[in-house]
Amino acid sequence: MTRCPAGQAEVEMAELYVKPGNKERGWNDPPQFSYGLQTQAGGPRRTLLTKRVAAPQDGSPRVPASETSPGPPPMGPLPPSSNPTSPPVGSGPASGVEPTSFPVESEPLMEDVLRPLEQALEDCRGHTKKQVCDDISRRLALLQERWAGGKLSIPVKKRMALLVQELSTHQWDAADDIHRSLMVDHVTEVSQWMVGVKRLIAEKRSLFSEEAADEEKSAATAEENQTIPGFQQAP
Amino acid sequence: MATYLEFIQQNEERDGVRFSWNVWPSSRLEATRMVVPLACLFTPLKERPDLPPVQYEPVLCSRPTCKAVLNPLCQVDYRAKLWACNFCFQRNQFPPAYGGISEVNQPAELMPQFSTIEYMIQRGAQSPLIFLYVVDTCLEEDDLQALKESLQMSLSLLPPDALVGLITFGRMVQVHELSCEGISKSYVFRGTKDLTAKQIQDMLGLTKPAMPMQQARPAQPQEHPFVSSRFLQPVHKIDMNLTDLLGELQRDPWPVTQGKRPLRSTGVALSIAVGLLEGTFPNTGARIMLFTGGPPTQGPGMVVGDELKIPIRSWHDIEKDNARFMKKATKHYEMLANRTAANGHCIDIYACALDQTGLLEMKCCANLTGGYMVMGDSFNTSLFKQTFQRIFTKDFNGDFRMAFGATLDVKTSRELKIAGAIGPCVSLNVKGPCVSENELGVGGTSQWKICGLDLTSTLGIYFEVVNQHNAPIPQGGRGAIQFVTHYQHSSTQRRIRVTTIARNWADAQTQLRHIEAAFDQEAAAVLMARLGVFRAESEEGPDVLRWLDRQLIRLCQKFGQYNKEDPASFRLSDSFSLYPQFMFHLRRSPFLQVFNNSPDESSYYRHHFARQDLTQSLIMIQPILYSYSFHGPPEPVLLDSSSILADKILLMDTFFQIVIYLGETIAQWRKAGYQDMPEYENFKHLLQAPLDDAQEILQARFPMPRYINTEHGGSQARFLLSKVNPSQTHNNLYAWGQC
Repeated sequence: MTRCPAGQAEVEMAELYVKPGNKERGWNDPPQFSYGLQTQAGGPRRTLLTKRVAAPQDGSPRVPASETSPGPPPMGPLPPSSNPTSPPVGSGPASGVEPTSFPVESEPLMEDVLRPLEQALEDCRGHTKKQVCDDISRRLALLQERWAGGKLSIPVKKRMALLVQELSTHQWDAADDIHRSLMVDHVTEVSQWMVGVKRLIAEKRSLFSEEAADEEKSAATAEENQTIPGFQQAP
Repeated sequence: MATYLEFIQQNEERDGVRFSWNVWPSSRLEATRMVVPLACLFTPLKERPDLPPVQYEPVLCSRPTCKAVLNPLCQVDYRAKLWACNFCFQRNQFPPAYGGISEVNQPAELMPQFSTIEYMIQRGAQSPLIFLYVVDTCLEEDDLQALKESLQMSLSLLPPDALVGLITFGRMVQVHELSCEGISKSYVFRGTKDLTAKQIQDMLGLTKPAMPMQQARPAQPQEHPFVSSRFLQPVHKIDMNLTDLLGELQRDPWPVTQGKRPLRSTGVALSIAVGLLEGTFPNTGARIMLFTGGPPTQGPGMVVGDELKIPIRSWHDIEKDNARFMKKATKHYEMLANRTAANGHCIDIYACALDQTGLLEMKCCANLTGGYMVMGDSFNTSLFKQTFQRIFTKDFNGDFRMAFGATLDVKTSRELKIAGAIGPCVSLNVKGPCVSENELGVGGTSQWKICGLDLTSTLGIYFEVVNQHNAPIPQGGRGAIQFVTHYQHSSTQRRIRVTTIARNWADAQTQLRHIEAAFDQEAAAVLMARLGVFRAESEEGPDVLRWLDRQLIRLCQKFGQYNKEDPASFRLSDSFSLYPQFMFHLRRSPFLQVFNNSPDESSYYRHHFARQDLTQSLIMIQPILYSYSFHGPPEPVLLDSSSILADKILLMDTFFQIVIYLGETIAQWRKAGYQDMPEYENFKHLLQAPLDDAQEILQARFPMPRYINTEHGGSQARFLLSKVNPSQTHNNLYAWGQC
């Protein structure tokens, strides 16, 4: 799970949204759910609305049970729903993008995101092929250019800040998930450079596990050398 | 009967089976008199979060013509360490590893709660999954850009060690060599001429040169499974370069003059894709994903010419035998589909265009291999983007829901034979004692191959009772069926899922009430519907409807209670009460009525119908209708015009569409803005309730449905009005069921 001290709730909420579909290009295009909402829905699907009513066997006409009234709707509480569904924070399918109405927070600084990424790349230079490093570096430069040029939206910047946090605390899966959510929700903005960030996460992860394996090995040999008391090591 | 409903539901949850009859008539003659055949809907990979696979291989019966898997129905002698096969009665020795078993220390596969159990295969190399993108570049700029972005996004959703490849096509077909260094190369083929598999493999440099005589090594046309080819590389290695390559894709450069369609060589592109995979990775899980924005207009498999003034074939043209290219094109794609299935690969078709794209001719590619068919208006729509994302949905374990290379083997006890299967499969032509001579669906075999499947893929399997009339009920009183599914899990590991079920026999002459009470009308409706749709592929529409009507009449004659000459006295018991409704809506459905649909649309609807599980199939046959009002909680209502009321909101789910319809009064209140007034907050909640329920459905379903929000008098209300039984018309006819 993400551990972001400030603004986590806000960022999480921004990840659960519903946008209307593209009515111009597709008739009755369904609404678009964010990555957060879609992954929430994963798992065994519960089909809630499955009941049917048998028709009356005696062939009698179904008399409408209610009448239309020209007045206003009845007041008072609604009878409880038999399918209690908790609507997501945000809006239903028919409405548009909901702006988050939280106290304005300063958006993340570009340096706070780029510097750790560049540092991570430096860490990988010994371990990763030069060509790959150059490619990643090129894409980080593209990210910087876009950011500095004001071409990135605030949700993208916020989630990148979160990603960088996860990366620096070695939460590889969480960082990977954030990269995925950005690719799904904001592909137009991020596709050109995000694949470099993705690769950087993968390289850092493999470097980290190599280093951890080496440490284990050296710890094991160090132990071996200590088990026999009084045994002098050959110089 | 409440207990049978529970029984049916428990069995579906545990074993993924729904039988038309749960107590079986014991003779062939009586079984045919039941009208609805003995058959089941079977979901081979039914989602079972509570069933971890066991880490050993199944124990098989030693009789070579049987080879059934050890299961809870087998008799076991724990002292002598022997077990008796319940299908062929062969006595088998337990393998040495089972030396410690006893009555109190049973292996899982003998316990009744493990009627469905999954085994992991430990041996053998695990080959990576393969995704080969075949991309049409004859698209409008916006569409191509949206498609490119979706493909780039998919690289983040694919597993890192999956292999990925790219073929683009328009007038020519380009096979892209994926490399990490510098310049990207591609092999270009003409789109007009079909090539054999060998020619394609030669031209791509996939066949090794002949060995010198002295070496006498056997010819190895396929590479070692772990070696990737130049055209199919692991995602983790190639993602950056492929992202750039995709980003640089241009529209097909060949100019399209006024009044013409672009020249699209889909037939050759698919042929090359199939040949490429055949030559490099046969018999391992692979998806060929075809993305197309219009009909094939050139080369083998062309569906229409390039003159816009000659429209693509309609049902009317097909009926009048006026569809010039149809037979030849269908044959081309059928040949490709069969080859692909033989190689264990599957073909998906993602067709987004405002006009038809040739799904009618190409449908066998998806239907025979188990691939997906997605139909949309444009790649720049939420429907395509999200449907495509959902292919990569993960299950509760973090694995993909898709699986590959499945073979389903069905065994039956002696009193039953297998008549056939209907679903996304091909026959493996395995004859044997279980195979009936009477075919229903894909018959003449007890084994089928399903190259692409997921956790909801469902086959309809049809049986024949072969016991002679008046022969005694078999000893033990129960018949048994075993379903053995070998498949490649999305983690690339091979697994075997075994489901063994049994049901009681009953003498129909003395125990008809028992058989009746155990009838599953929902399963029966879907199984009959699959038979009807299967027939509709080769028979005339009106003949299929006549057949369906005849079966309904015969069923009602057999199981209805009535007094002669008195229609009002007709009654059906509870276990049959919904069946006539299902048949009524089925005969009006787009699966059997092609009027108002293009041939492509009919093919699309039928494709999804032939593979969904029972609940979804039933939604397609008879859409769900729920009513929301101030008078109580949301309730299901009859799919009838009498359910359309001024002060109610209706939610209709047809599987392909979600429709929300506001009654006249509700619409007026909404227009007046009552939902914005604080005293009428309950009205705001009422408006929101169906939206929330619709969202639940929209969030999960594959393919994503269209979403229609309309009201009384709105033009989109036609989606609701065309589905309901029009029991109330301007003539005020009241009788139910008059059609």
